[in-house]
Amino acid sequence: MELEIILAVLMFVTAIGALLSGYPVALTLGGVALLYALIGIGLGVFPEPMLLSLPSRIQGGSIMQNETLIAVPLFIIMGVILERSRVAEDLLHIASRLLGKVRGGLGYAVVLVGALLAASTGIVGATVITMTLIALPTMLKQKYDPRLATGTIAASGTLGQIIPPSIVLILLADAVSNAASQAASQMGSGASFVVSVGDLFAGALIPGVMLVGLYLAYIAFTAIFRPSACPPVEEDDDTAPLTTMEIVFGLGAPLFLIIAVLGAILTGIAPPTQAASIGAAGAILLAGLRLSDERHKTLRLSIFAGLASIFVIILLRNSLDLRMGVEHITTVNLIGMIITLIAALAFLGGIVSGMLVLHANDQLMPALKSAVEITSMVFLILIGASLFSLVFRGFGGDDLVHELLSATPGGKWGALIIAMLVMFVLGFFLDFIEIVFVVVPLVTPTLIIAGFDPVWLGILMALNLQTSFLTPPFGFALFYLRGSAPPEVRTLDIWQGALPYIGLQILMIALVASIPALATWLPALTR
Amino acid sequence: MDPNFFISIGHVLTMIGIVILPVFLLPLLVLVLPRPFEKPGKIVSGAIDRVTDIAAAVSIGTAICLLGFQLAVVIAAYAFGLSWTWLSELVIYSFAATFMIGACVALRDNAHVRVDILRPRFGEDGRNWIELAGIYLLLFPICIRILQTGEQGLARSWLLFEGSRESDGLPFLYLFKTLVPLFAVLMLSQGLSEALKAALRLTGRMPPTDTTVGSEETSYGA
Repeated sequence: MELEIILAVLMFVTAIGALLSGYPVALTLGGVALLYALIGIGLGVFPEPMLLSLPSRIQGGSIMQNETLIAVPLFIIMGVILERSRVAEDLLHIASRLLGKVRGGLGYAVVLVGALLAASTGIVGATVITMTLIALPTMLKQKYDPRLATGTIAASGTLGQIIPPSIVLILLADAVSNAASQAASQMGSGASFVVSVGDLFAGALIPGVMLVGLYLAYIAFTAIFRPSACPPVEEDDDTAPLTTMEIVFGLGAPLFLIIAVLGAILTGIAPPTQAASIGAAGAILLAGLRLSDERHKTLRLSIFAGLASIFVIILLRNSLDLRMGVEHITTVNLIGMIITLIAALAFLGGIVSGMLVLHANDQLMPALKSAVEITSMVFLILIGASLFSLVFRGFGGDDLVHELLSATPGGKWGALIIAMLVMFVLGFFLDFIEIVFVVVPLVTPTLIIAGFDPVWLGILMALNLQTSFLTPPFGFALFYLRGSAPPEVRTLDIWQGALPYIGLQILMIALVASIPALATWLPALTR
Repeated sequence: MDPNFFISIGHVLTMIGIVILPVFLLPLLVLVLPRPFEKPGKIVSGAIDRVTDIAAAVSIGTAICLLGFQLAVVIAAYAFGLSWTWLSELVIYSFAATFMIGACVALRDNAHVRVDILRPRFGEDGRNWIELAGIYLLLFPICIRILQTGEQGLARSWLLFEGSRESDGLPFLYLFKTLVPLFAVLMLSQGLSEALKAALRLTGRMPPTDTTVGSEETSYGA
């Protein structure tokens, strides 16, 4: 075997060993790669100019000027604001109050809220921890079977990855679209694939909703055949019944926000980045309303004005010609423009008021700080992983992966199964983000050249990793659940609780694999 | 502007870097001779953490700018059919600045993802040794490499006061490119601070950290 191939393999093995030490993943990937690049340069098997391109790669279109990924920090801001302002918590409380009286109702509530919280940080750990802290104590107090309760929470926590608008789907779309253009250039002769964030969102929608349906069906099934596992909630007499206002505001408002953002992306009204900024603004307005009390009457009015101005802008925009670029502007249109401008200012004013209310409740700075830290975490992994990929490619590692996958018995399906198995195992100790940045660019071009649809591949990968996070003993979701669950919940219960959901996941993967239209029909329609 | 001006600024910065270099030995000195070096170690680490506080404020500011500029883009495009390159570039600049400046804040507050499978079994001392080794073998080389390889391109960019390629773009591309070495310097300094903390914890001069909590107290040394 050639020296550079040995180095490429050794580098991969060293990286995995070093990752297990627990030093931050981003720096470990980058540092190990740099070390091997220097060894390679010393031995004369690594082209040194490749390493010189590092700063220009960082400031180029794949990281610092990556217009697709601008949506990531905006969605993160939306997520942390909803979480910090307890909008997410309200959602779970109201859903459990509404559904709790039914057998299995708390389970339904957890699944549905997990699906809605998809817009939140999109990082498995955060979602699972939030859900565990809020829902698990209630479920255990109401005498739910701990296995059912923990399994449902872990599985619902991973739903956030597959249901759009999820952050990992944005990252995956970026990686898959790079892989697709790489594949197209290798195939030559007019081959072209375009994969946008919107395509992946559209592709994930049907499998995601079906998965929610499967989860709900499983809980309903348990409620019928093992009624003692999920008893209806016993109502305390002293709790006041929910008012319509609470339901409309607590349940309807976040639902409306998420549907509006998702709808704008899927129907093509707004690209994901623009929709994400509207989502973040909407989250700030909602959070401001949620946290404002009698002390902030003026601010609350301003937030209401901000909300109302959105409708004014949409209404005027669709009834008049507000374009400023045209040559002759009629008086009516001019007045429309002025009103729209005032509405736009009111909108921005509402956001500032929302931020002021958050600040008065000491939530603004912690929320933004955590948004900045999550964003930095994601992008530092991107920097480390791109250094890793750069060096791996310098050693010819991508050719090696290509040859290995092409030589797999069973043709393209054999290659697909191997790639999926590798990702599944890596999912035991790497988060979605790292796998998307490191493994997806390596395996996807070969699979696309073999003839698989890029969007379909992306959805299969997402489902696959989601399953990996649920699988004992290393599943991420279970790990975080264990960390935040009370000690009387046995680890074995958590593992057993996850098993039925793993079965449902595998069923879903099989469905998407055998009926590709589940993932490809909607994107083709919206394109 | 005289091109030699920037080259000499580059030389001065390099000289400053070389003069500062011995400070990077401080964590090791703390390990070997904890008694005399405890105090300087805490002072340096505390000072760096305060610089990182500024970085935190700046990156929160740029995150707010990102949202504001992006909303302006949306309203201008949706309602008035207008778009400007400079505004889109402001979005890109604030986006990149958020994580290039925020990375060191996440490093200080332990917000970067780690593989947690074996970590609890290493014990407090083991984790501190891994931290030290990681900083010297992984973090520092990456940052130094980024500084080294970026030097020439950056000097060229400053010489030209390089601006946007578009005619209605921002004339500040050289500042945008400066974010890369800024990132490296901030990460180097915060890495030094973390190394000092790990060394101080190893010699028992600082209380151990609770690994279940993400952020750690940084108020000492003030």
